[in-house]
Amino acid sequence: MCDDVRQDVVYITDSGHVEFTSRVPLHTFTGSSDHLHGLIDFDENLVDFYLDLSTLKSGIGRRDRDIYRTLNVDDYPFAEFTGTLSTSFDQNSSETQQVEVQGEFTIHGVTRNVTIQGTMQKQGEELYLTAEWILNLEDYDIEPPGILFYRVNEEQELRIEATLNSAPKEEI
Amino acid sequence: MNVCKFANFGFTVFFLHLVLLVESMNAQLPRERADADPPVDRLFWASYSIGISTVESVSARNLNSTVKHTFGLVDGGIDHFFGLDDGANTRLGLEYGFHDRFSMGIGRMTFNKLVDMHAKYNILRQTVSGSTPVELAVKTSVGINTFPGTGRDFSERLNYFVSVMIARKMGNFSLQATPMYAHFNRVSGNNEKQLFGLGIVAGLALNDRFSLGAEYLPVIGDRNPGTYDTAAVTLNIDTGGHIFQLFFTSSQWHNESFIMANNRDRFWEGEFRFGFNIHRVFGF
Repeated sequence: MCDDVRQDVVYITDSGHVEFTSRVPLHTFTGSSDHLHGLIDFDENLVDFYLDLSTLKSGIGRRDRDIYRTLNVDDYPFAEFTGTLSTSFDQNSSETQQVEVQGEFTIHGVTRNVTIQGTMQKQGEELYLTAEWILNLEDYDIEPPGILFYRVNEEQELRIEATLNSAPKEEI
Repeated sequence: MNVCKFANFGFTVFFLHLVLLVESMNAQLPRERADADPPVDRLFWASYSIGISTVESVSARNLNSTVKHTFGLVDGGIDHFFGLDDGANTRLGLEYGFHDRFSMGIGRMTFNKLVDMHAKYNILRQTVSGSTPVELAVKTSVGINTFPGTGRDFSERLNYFVSVMIARKMGNFSLQATPMYAHFNRVSGNNEKQLFGLGIVAGLALNDRFSLGAEYLPVIGDRNPGTYDTAAVTLNIDTGGHIFQLFFTSSQWHNESFIMANNRDRFWEGEFRFGFNIHRVFGF
């Protein structure tokens, strides 16, 4: 780390983008939310994100309500990740850098240790972040919703994209 | 002595670990719901109970398509294949959600070649917290009898309708009261130009796939000669993509105005018919 890296700031967002892709035979649909909340504190090496699952929209209101019931949003309203950056990140570089985080991901009341790869890029006072990974519904005791004789694929493709703004640590 | 020192050391390590854990948790973002007081989900499974509209709304930028069928009376027996050989009244309908609380729709049914257009607005949403204890919606509609050769001019073919839907969900059970008013610009014989009714709709969710429903529509005050209050029961099936409603009803009509005006069968005397509605939502 260089000397001019400020240790009294963190990077936060409340409008990150989350997108999931679900597959059923002969059909694919996506859902998304722009309510991803996130915090990255390089000084404490803390990466913390959460999403209110009831903000996910797939374009069809009835299907959204099916998704909420499947995820049991009333009892488990959040998907959460709390962990640490396990690779180095040069805050003085404006290049896109490959990063890896390790930590606990919780959804549907089930917590698993995960490792997620992504990219981060410093853009002035902002931090641009992307990540993609596969979430297996069975790992989190989520029963894939079914339509007559076929069911939604257990593997859900997740993608997040967020621009985090710097903020004084004491304001958080 | 050494044991004591070891115990103290162990306690110190445990305490530090606890402090670090608490600090780590404090460093996390506080979890906050996007909507701290969300609405109750799915009071009813479709925008129609059977023939009566429900408070269930079409989401914004969604198009709900509906196919409704009713056949002849079941008591026709096997000779009439329990009513399926008798003429069906079919209504095809579309309803578009301009907003999560406001939709407009159009439909056309076989009887009277009736074309109806409606608008529905959800004024209140029942909330999970109970801060709003009921769902409240209003519906207005105009119908046009397009049957040729009746000698009626355009205005004489029109009828108007307005209803207020007040509903509440309690656990898996939902109940709706629907005061309604229908006006016909021209009627035959001793029929009434104005009709008032009080629709009662009930729903019971058995699980995520199946629910039961019932409706009863008594005419309040003056009514058309030879008509009776309508009753109906239904099994609703959610296949994931469609909602199927398989029902028995005394009335063969598909909207409230004409159910009040024309039902001449008595459900409790065994005069009911089979019918089904199919609902499918598309996103735009």
